[in-house]
Amino acid sequence: MKKFILVRVVNILITLLIIATLTFFLMKTLPGSPFDEEKLADLTEEARMEFLARYGLDEPVHVQYFKYMANLAKGDLGLSYYYKEQPVSSIILERIGPSALIGFQAVVLGLSIGIILGMIAAFRHNTVWDYFTMIIAVLGVSIPNFVLAAFLQFYVGLKMGILPVAYWESYDHSILPTIALTVGVIAQIARFMRNEMLEVLQQDYIMTAQAKGLGDWVVMIRHAIRNALIPIVTILGPIVVSLMTGSLVIESIFSIPGIGSLFVDSIKMNDYTTIMGLTLFYSAFFILAILIVDILYGIIDPRIRVHGKG
Amino acid sequence: MKEQTKQLEEQHEIFPDEMFEIVGRKEDESEKINKPVLSNWQDGWLRLKQNKAAIVSLFVIFIIVFLSFVGPYFNEYSYDQTDYDNVYSEPSKEHWLGTDKFGRDQWTRLWEGTRISLYIAVLAAVLDIMIGITYGAISAWKGGRVDNIMQRIIEVLVGIPNLIIIILLIMWMSPGIMTIMLAMVITGWVNMARLVRGQVFKLKTQEYVLASRALGASTSRIILGHMLPNTFGIIIINLMFTIPSAIFTEAFLSFIGLGLQEPLASLGVLINDGYHAMRNQFYLLAYPAIVIVALMVSFNLLADGLRDAFDPRMRK
Amino acid sequence: MKRNFWKKWGILFVLVLLLSACGFSKSSESSSSQSESDRSGKKVLNLSLENDIPDLNQVTTTDGISFDILNNVMEGLYRLDADNNPQPAMAESVDISDDKLTYTFHLRDGIKWSNGEEVTAHDFVFSWLRALHPDTAGSYSFIISDYIKGAEAYANGEATEEEVGIKALNDKTLIVELNDPTPFFLGLTAFATYFPLNEDFINEVGDQFALDHESILYNGPFVLTEYDQAVGVKMEKNEHYWDIENVEVDEISMRVIKEKSTELNLYESGELDRITLSSNDVDEFRDSEEYGTVTEFTSWYLQFNLGKEPFDNFNIRKAFQLAYDPKLLATNVLNNGSEPAYSLLPPGMHGVDGQPFRDLAGEVIEPDFEKAKEYLEKGLEEIGGELPPIELLTADDTVAKDTATFVQSQLKENLGVDVSIVTKPYSGRLDSMREDDYQFVISKWGADYNDAMTYLALWVGEPAIPFRGNYHNPEYMNLVYKAQEEKDEHKRIEMLMEAERILLEEDAVLGPLYYEGSAYLQKSYIKNLVLHPYGARLDLKYVTFDE
Repeated sequence: MKKFILVRVVNILITLLIIATLTFFLMKTLPGSPFDEEKLADLTEEARMEFLARYGLDEPVHVQYFKYMANLAKGDLGLSYYYKEQPVSSIILERIGPSALIGFQAVVLGLSIGIILGMIAAFRHNTVWDYFTMIIAVLGVSIPNFVLAAFLQFYVGLKMGILPVAYWESYDHSILPTIALTVGVIAQIARFMRNEMLEVLQQDYIMTAQAKGLGDWVVMIRHAIRNALIPIVTILGPIVVSLMTGSLVIESIFSIPGIGSLFVDSIKMNDYTTIMGLTLFYSAFFILAILIVDILYGIIDPRIRVHGKG
Repeated sequence: MKEQTKQLEEQHEIFPDEMFEIVGRKEDESEKINKPVLSNWQDGWLRLKQNKAAIVSLFVIFIIVFLSFVGPYFNEYSYDQTDYDNVYSEPSKEHWLGTDKFGRDQWTRLWEGTRISLYIAVLAAVLDIMIGITYGAISAWKGGRVDNIMQRIIEVLVGIPNLIIIILLIMWMSPGIMTIMLAMVITGWVNMARLVRGQVFKLKTQEYVLASRALGASTSRIILGHMLPNTFGIIIINLMFTIPSAIFTEAFLSFIGLGLQEPLASLGVLINDGYHAMRNQFYLLAYPAIVIVALMVSFNLLADGLRDAFDPRMRK
Repeated sequence: MKRNFWKKWGILFVLVLLLSACGFSKSSESSSSQSESDRSGKKVLNLSLENDIPDLNQVTTTDGISFDILNNVMEGLYRLDADNNPQPAMAESVDISDDKLTYTFHLRDGIKWSNGEEVTAHDFVFSWLRALHPDTAGSYSFIISDYIKGAEAYANGEATEEEVGIKALNDKTLIVELNDPTPFFLGLTAFATYFPLNEDFINEVGDQFALDHESILYNGPFVLTEYDQAVGVKMEKNEHYWDIENVEVDEISMRVIKEKSTELNLYESGELDRITLSSNDVDEFRDSEEYGTVTEFTSWYLQFNLGKEPFDNFNIRKAFQLAYDPKLLATNVLNNGSEPAYSLLPPGMHGVDGQPFRDLAGEVIEPDFEKAKEYLEKGLEEIGGELPPIELLTADDTVAKDTATFVQSQLKENLGVDVSIVTKPYSGRLDSMREDDYQFVISKWGADYNDAMTYLALWVGEPAIPFRGNYHNPEYMNLVYKAQEEKDEHKRIEMLMEAERILLEEDAVLGPLYYEGSAYLQKSYIKNLVLHPYGARLDLKYVTFDE
């Protein structure tokens, strides 16, 4: 197990290095610079370069790359260009809280409701329950979440006045955004769960368990769910990451100072250091998610054991 | 006991021995299969036909696809024809679904947009699946070092946020349908590859695969004959999610201002425009939303039907 | 094994829960006490900001949001009044020499920083030099270096402090020497880059300057009490402000809200006092007494690239310039308070003797679709019969895209010309323009100061740059240069009027589109909220509450 973890850690570092390198050079091919604006347009090329030189942006790209990497090795993500003179790491740390809370709530809620719905649908296959659940699931993926968010804000927030319209000030403020974000997750999970449960319920060991005389729910909980969880775990990683980027829309509608909006802004503003910082952050997060999925695989499905070799 | 014999006797009276004739054994015909041999596809089609929901969905999809091609010709307007005297007019006899802020006819734009969205989504989904299945299957089947390397590649690809790639592509190429599709495909197949890999890993250890291998089946036969049909369900479900997610990705691109170029329409563009106008011109949001929901519900029900019909494990 | 399994899930769950709880507790501290302050009788103003606050460092900042905030917590020698005329602020009076090149400012008594220290003439010298110095300057340094003697050389590192025409005679007297007579210089001193800075304080905070509300020293009507780039700012009345008895507002909250629909919902729920409306919602509120519109000194126009086919041909340019109706664009498509433009300089911009430039000059361009067709035919003959494929470059925000769609449809309808639209992010558009990679583009310019020169100096074309359409006309150039040195304001304005006419009518370098405006809703009890049409726009000093 120790060796396995060591190998994985080395792998993760190599992956991150490749991602950092790719992103860096891709990003540098974006036209413009962080200081583009109409007011600078009339500068001569010399004056422009002089201005860029102050930030080391006039050097050849590979020199900039090695400088950035050297700083990165020291744990320094550099200063933002757009949010002038602010360290990227502290910007990310400040913004991560709200996004993490909403994302986490959406995943937990979506997972629990989705799994329950999927189970009901599979258990009462081809009944009204099944159709009802699946219609909810389908509607969940058919309505863009910004439309849903706007509806919630207008009716629940403004017209009914139950929950805050926008801002990020108390726990209540996180409820509507979470709901808007959760619906899509519920839908995806419910469908996968139903599919897997239907399959698992036909396996021999389920019949054996039923033949032993175990009750329906005991069979369900002890044998079926556990096997049906495998594909759920697989799609969980991408869902978590897409929630974090996808929450951009929700964040801007509910006026939440999160990380999703920061990302799009930084790309549009050519804020190189922030793009890099966020990319590395997302990447590390995702790779960790994959690692956890792999480990969960081993825990949930005894037939799959992760070995150092892969 | 007595009664039984009595019954038998009565029967004997109705069907006397004279009515029967000995024909002897026909060795060659006893092994014959009388039901016509059905290919996998014919068999599936028979099953699908029995699923009402799936057939209705198929019908709805057909109508939407049909309208998306023919609908724009139902009236005299073209999708980019502006009329600045008639901006934001409510649905009426002249404009069945009203007009937008440029006075463009929404009926025409809706079907024009549906066609473009379907085009993007279906093409992106098909490419996703082709790349994803191949990649995932190879990765899982080969296992070991190959799998390890292929998984690292996936990690790298997934680790780079899609948005950077999409924006880069839009900067490099002229922004348009192809660019958006390509951007989606480049980042989209990874999920499919991971799912297929997981599934193939699971199947690899199944008894029937082992049996088939023991009987000397070739690798390609095992993959095509056993693995693929068994992953069919998961592939179709994912496909059904790829289509709406492709439509939504496109809508998201519109939301951040990198979608299709005006005056082209797509469901994403229309919904995004409608979202901005939903307070006062709700009809601009309602109709594209209805089409999207109808499409998604149908695709999903059809997908369920297809899975039930074609997935060998679902046969009863 | 089974028990283990569920236990692991449980531990994971609790762990993540704890983590996210930490994330929240931090941001929940800044919970607003809006209702409480209302109860205590304080006058609170709730406003919104349309995006994050990038930079509150007055020396380096460049964006409108930061300017809007800074303008209310800082003050220059002059401050613009409700009619956009500069009124003495930190300065009590000024003596202008006869050649109009030397300004002697006399500072007001009793002006103080928010820490109680006196604001002196040295604070201005320190700040202005800092804004010029190559190590510390931002991209707005030109707004000082263009006018003050020796400033440009200093900014290029070619001169010493002593050679710059900014001197503090004593604590109360500031002497400024200019390159040219600049009739709008007093207005410039109201701009953020001209605000003073306290040297001791700057040295004390060092790198941390303007990173939070405690690392700025204020001399304006308000001070910041909270500052978070992604959330917004809160302000309070500045007790050291010299004119405090004329400031009615006690507290101000300005929150970052990126969606217009959210703003409207917040306005209706009473959490905001003033919002800008999106064009979709204008019709609903047009008759409300809370509704109003304002225009800015920001002109939108088509910039033709004279270095690219087919716009190297005058007749084609002229045809395109006359083939659309700006009025349709402003009233039917944008519908947000913007005014149709038939010239470059926005109405209301200062001319001479209190008469606006636009009123003196009249309109330059009159759309005429018939004439446009004639020009097109003539142009086509000259270039050999056929137009090359034409692309219209535009930025990717809604307004720019809508404008592009409008122009595209009009060219098709009125000229029968097919144009495709190329959308790029803001910096992508600028980059394409700089790299000479466009045929014509939807562009804009917002005035830096209240004078025609802020526009007309852009197309001087020495050297001709792609960004300004590769335009170079010696006649135009000479007019602008001569106007710069002219001491007689009447003659000067006449030269500038002629320059604008050449640029638009004779050379058809630009096609005017509209003057940017916005439609807003404002609670009716709030009066005198001033929005200047250029520079640092928002002015909350004059706000009063109607009970």
